Amino acid sequence: MIFWEIAKRNIRIHLLRSSLAMLGIVIGVVAISTMGILGNSMVLSVSDSLRTVGDSVIVTPHAGGNARGFGGGGSTSLTISEQDFQQIKRVSAPNVAIPVLQTSDRMKLGVGKDDIVTILYGMNPDDVPDMLKLQEGDYSRGNSGCLVGATFAKDNNVKVGSRISIGTDGDKGTLRVTGIIEERGMAFDVSTDSAVVTTKDWFDTTYNRDDYDKVVVKVKDLNQIASVKTAIEKQMNRRDTTVDVMDTRKTMETIFQAFGQITTFVSAIGGISMIVAGVSILNIMMMSVTERIKEIGIMRSIGAQRREVMSMFLYEAAILGVAGSIIGGLLSFLGGYAISSLMLQTTKYLFVPSTMIHIVYGMAFGIFVCLICGIYPAWRAANLNPIEALRHE
Amino acid sequence: MDDLPVMQFQDVVKVYPLPAGDVTALDGVSFRVGRGEFISVMGPSGSGKSTLLNLMGCLDTPTSGDIYISGIRVGDMPDTELTSLRRDRIGFIFQYFNLFPLLNIIENVTFPMMLKTGKGVDPERGKEVLRAVQLDDKLFTHTPTELSGGQQQRVAVARALINNPDILLCDEPTGNLDSKTGAGIMDLMTELNRKGTTIIMVTHDPHLAEYSRRTIRIVDGRIVG
Repeated sequence: MIFWEIAKRNIRIHLLRSSLAMLGIVIGVVAISTMGILGNSMVLSVSDSLRTVGDSVIVTPHAGGNARGFGGGGSTSLTISEQDFQQIKRVSAPNVAIPVLQTSDRMKLGVGKDDIVTILYGMNPDDVPDMLKLQEGDYSRGNSGCLVGATFAKDNNVKVGSRISIGTDGDKGTLRVTGIIEERGMAFDVSTDSAVVTTKDWFDTTYNRDDYDKVVVKVKDLNQIASVKTAIEKQMNRRDTTVDVMDTRKTMETIFQAFGQITTFVSAIGGISMIVAGVSILNIMMMSVTERIKEIGIMRSIGAQRREVMSMFLYEAAILGVAGSIIGGLLSFLGGYAISSLMLQTTKYLFVPSTMIHIVYGMAFGIFVCLICGIYPAWRAANLNPIEALRHE
Repeated sequence: MDDLPVMQFQDVVKVYPLPAGDVTALDGVSFRVGRGEFISVMGPSGSGKSTLLNLMGCLDTPTSGDIYISGIRVGDMPDTELTSLRRDRIGFIFQYFNLFPLLNIIENVTFPMMLKTGKGVDPERGKEVLRAVQLDDKLFTHTPTELSGGQQQRVAVARALINNPDILLCDEPTGNLDSKTGAGIMDLMTELNRKGTTIIMVTHDPHLAEYSRRTIRIVDGRIVG
């Protein structure tokens, strides 16, 4: 249509000022999109490192409660008794309840080396494969074997087959490393990266224990997490609060929510630059209308309808908006790629819909702002009095 | 149908309300224009000539009285219909040519036709009309600024003719041309009128009025002869 053609040509003859106005839109789109890309990539990256523990309900003794509702004897430390564990196991079924023992102790990693202090976990050998993945070696079946975390292995130069003497001067015996646990990152259940995992039997005997420090319930169907949590709480805390139950997914959701809010906030700051760009679009559109009052008058007098004049100016705003948004979208992609590879050292979080959608959001907002800012000038042009416009010099 | 006047003014009054008091620009103007006439409207400045031109061109509506264009009562038409009327039934020719600098000659000429049909127009149709106003083929794809005043006015005449209007409405069509070029344009007008085009020309130049076959004189908003 001829008005589309006129809009195009008008932008072309005012290329410099059109480009400058478009640049504003480009910056706006880039600001919004890259912030969104970065935020979402970070959420994905964090959720990836937390995903392994996102399916757990963790039961710990309630601090400050009156210890031992039933059984257990006179222990003063905060633990979960065998009976309590059995109850948790029963209400959590068919999900797996994994009891975990935990302490810290000195150990020596070879003759002549200094003692170090690290965390020791005790777990049933049958439970270990449900919770921990190995990067090297095998799960230990016997009581003289142990697993070590990836960071621990790296820091202390420990390999499969290495021997670790536990206790001061090895008075608690020596364990052989049978496997190295894959890095798990920050975890809510067990943080094994810098720890040693032994068998429950060895732990019981060595530290003289008959109870547990925590119970981790692995929930198969993530939708059941909340109901498992409620069931445990109902069973265990009927009379007194004896345990605290943490739902890791809930915790993760809180973290992601916080991330999401940060992303939104930063994108909103990007949005301000878009509004500034919108004002410059409004400005050049007003200029365009003022310069062409006479032309509008001629058009109207030889039979152009108001809406046709309006469409001509809206086309102009749309061209600026679409072109600026496309350029901005491309730059956002490149920028997002650069930021991802520099800051997150990976671009795998870029090529997913939830990240890419931010480019679409940015572009859509850019076009929207342009059209909104084009409406008033276009309306002004369309409603000029043709007689006065014709007389305008 | 043939005896229906292409334009008829009946007791037309136009009052401009101003804060300092109403100004009556036209005060009971009546006349009819038959098909194929060549009329000039003359009058000194301030006589109501421009007001009359705006009303004839359907750019404005009267305060009272009736205006008919080919039997259609203009009255208090909404803007959309008034605009369609200008587009389909009236061809405007201005003193300053008023071509669109962004469009080439053919696009300028076919512009009103694109407005009418709402789509692209065969350039051949534009060329046809341009040849009828004796414009050189070589100029068809140029922009208006590359043409002389006389050539631009010929393009403007072609643009006014493209939708086969009932009336060609000219506002000082030679006012911005030297006398020789102006005479060329007036010869073109005479030729068009001879072929049946109804022409109303507003001017203050008595020499120009000689080309027409009838003159309406207007003084102080009234027709005096």
